[in-house]
Amino acid sequence: MPPSRDDAAVFTEIFDRHRHAVHAYFLGRVADPELARDLVQEAFLRAWRRLSEIAPLPPDKQRAWIFTVARNLAIDSYRAGAARQAAEAALRHQAATEEATVAGPHLEAESRERLAQVDAAIRRLPEEQRVILSMATAGGLTSRQIGEALGEPAGTVRYRLSQARKQLAAALDLEERS
Amino acid sequence: MTSPDRPDLDQLLAAWAAARRLPDAEAERIRQAIVPPAPPLQATWWSDFNEKISTAIARATATPGPALAALA
Repeated sequence: MPPSRDDAAVFTEIFDRHRHAVHAYFLGRVADPELARDLVQEAFLRAWRRLSEIAPLPPDKQRAWIFTVARNLAIDSYRAGAARQAAEAALRHQAATEEATVAGPHLEAESRERLAQVDAAIRRLPEEQRVILSMATAGGLTSRQIGEALGEPAGTVRYRLSQARKQLAAALDLEERS
Repeated sequence: MTSPDRPDLDQLLAAWAAARRLPDAEAERIRQAIVPPAPPLQATWWSDFNEKISTAIARATATPGPALAALA
């Protein structure tokens, strides 16, 4: 049976509400933009197939549902080895080239270089810190929301975020605000 | 404390997030890959819709049988 226009509209609303957070999570987990996008698509495909179950939920419960799927997908991806290989390849590539790959052509060379340094420093963070930092910055989630999504206490999230920032500040030769 | 010509960590992270965030065009490509296109509206949808409305109005405003009997 083809989807109704209402189903598509409801799904689009859910997709738009959570896509940045889910993408940021996968970006932190796999450190490979291409794979992160594939995993976003797979997570939301599963949400689409269970739309009647998810649609009535409030946004925070929707997020919890989608992140349960996302965490399982990340685990499956790790088991398959694809994520780990991609992350390692990305790290080697970053270390070898030092090229700016994260910025668009509108940015000056100096800014591109700085962004590449930030990108490399984030990739070198422990995964648990990288995921939280990505969700907080690229995903725009609060510590409480990250904690709910990952099944961690908000205090643990705040601590890891603080550790990540300290490590980044040290790696980038910046002074971190306390 | 940071010097004025030196970006602080928040600025760098904001720039990193903006560069790494899923672009809208890519998000739309993903959405379209998930949601199959809805079937197009039939060419007769307007006349079908009008017919349904007319039928509903006629039913709602018709004098019921007992009332007609009472008038007879």
